[in-house]
Amino acid sequence: MDDFLVRAALGAGLLGAAAGPLGCFVLWRRMAYLGESVGHMGLLGAALGLLLGIDPLIGVIAVAIAAALVMARARDGRVPVGTAVGIVGHVGLALGFILLSGMETVRTDLLGYLFGDVLALSNIDVAEIAAVAALVLAASAWFWRTWLTGAINSDIARAEGRTGALADVAFLVLVAVLVAFGLRVVGALLIVALIIVPPAAARVFAATPERMAVLASLIGAASAPLGLAAAWWQDIPAGPAIVLAAASLFGLSQLAALRR
Amino acid sequence: MDPLIAATGLSVRAGQAHILSGVDFAIRAGEIVTLIGPNGSGKTSLLKALMGLMPASGTIRRKPGLRLGYVPQNFPRDRSLPMTVARFLSLYADEAATRDALARVGIAERAGRQLAALSGGELARVQLARAIATRPELLILDEPLAGVDVAGEAALYHLIAELRDERGCGVLLVSHDLHVVMAQADRVICLNGHVCCEGKAEQVVKDPAFAQLFGPRVADELALYVHRHDHSHEGHAHG
Repeated sequence: MDDFLVRAALGAGLLGAAAGPLGCFVLWRRMAYLGESVGHMGLLGAALGLLLGIDPLIGVIAVAIAAALVMARARDGRVPVGTAVGIVGHVGLALGFILLSGMETVRTDLLGYLFGDVLALSNIDVAEIAAVAALVLAASAWFWRTWLTGAINSDIARAEGRTGALADVAFLVLVAVLVAFGLRVVGALLIVALIIVPPAAARVFAATPERMAVLASLIGAASAPLGLAAAWWQDIPAGPAIVLAAASLFGLSQLAALRR
Repeated sequence: MDPLIAATGLSVRAGQAHILSGVDFAIRAGEIVTLIGPNGSGKTSLLKALMGLMPASGTIRRKPGLRLGYVPQNFPRDRSLPMTVARFLSLYADEAATRDALARVGIAERAGRQLAALSGGELARVQLARAIATRPELLILDEPLAGVDVAGEAALYHLIAELRDERGCGVLLVSHDLHVVMAQADRVICLNGHVCCEGKAEQVVKDPAFAQLFGPRVADELALYVHRHDHSHEGHAHG
């Protein structure tokens, strides 16, 4: 087996594992829409990073964090918050695409930004993803109880002083960081799938939130080698193949649920 | 004794609309205070403003480190979040307190059930059990017994009064069931965007503001009810 495949499996697998617990909260807090918009804004971040002559990854992380923090604070006004978040995210996607397509050297990589370029991960990239995955998993364990009480009922958690601004900000920052690194792997358009599909598949087999988180990590991690194997044998794009692998596991979980 | 929570000149607005204006409020340990008022009179808003869940003007003072137990009016359940009754309570209280609270609200046999599988009345009991298990100094209950059957409702209101006697906690309650309210509350606050009248149940039902808000028929009926209830306190059986 080739080295680039091993690196791809490691990078995508670690990311999928890290996304498990966090993805459960994205599901429970009904924030898939917000995650999607943050992913779209990530494209704008990459463009800004390149324009400013810094590492595009830094641009993606900065814009994704800013977008997550601002959008999560939005409240229904004249425009319902879901509509506003959708509009802002797509403006970011359109603007990012236009800026990137104006850069001669980048134009060929555009598909990579949209659908990921997991086969191009370097050793350093994989090491970075491993560090981020460790950070995300450690933080998920640390904040688990606080996040869980907040997800069950945020009014009770706030009234009884069981949550704080730190737990909330930490959650949003970690989602943004995960989205930013996921952009390399499955792209701005598909990253949310990697965050919400494994927990949705895990739900069927879990009677406790902890079990659901662990199963989501396992399913997320397994999607990477499964998708890459399909990409290798069928010669199809790797990022979308990983997402389809996760979706296939979700489909199997639903079949299992039917048989119960 | 200092109040657990006190507010002066409390006002809540939503855009141009005044939901509450100029409300003075205080509750002390060992006191059961009930908020009554028609729909949209600001009962829930007053609770939320007191707990800091809703922006409000005026001053709110809390006893430092106040332990508060809150039962919200609505508790939306999410089928994507697997959670048994026992696990739910264990997030907020230790195992002994959890077991004791579930037994006291009469739902110990449901400890292993998923929250999403409970009936409305069972969920209301679980909510009350959760709040009790945290041993709060102040219980804030927003129509806590919606969906509970009539017999259960009376028993649970009795339990709330019992807990107040046992632990000396304060209880702030919103309820639509005026009969139960009148029987259990030490103090009734009649709200309609502002405090219309307040005092002991027997005073409030005779207040012209009360008759204006709920209609003379309800006022007369409750006045009679409160009167009969007084007798039961003096040891007379009636039936």
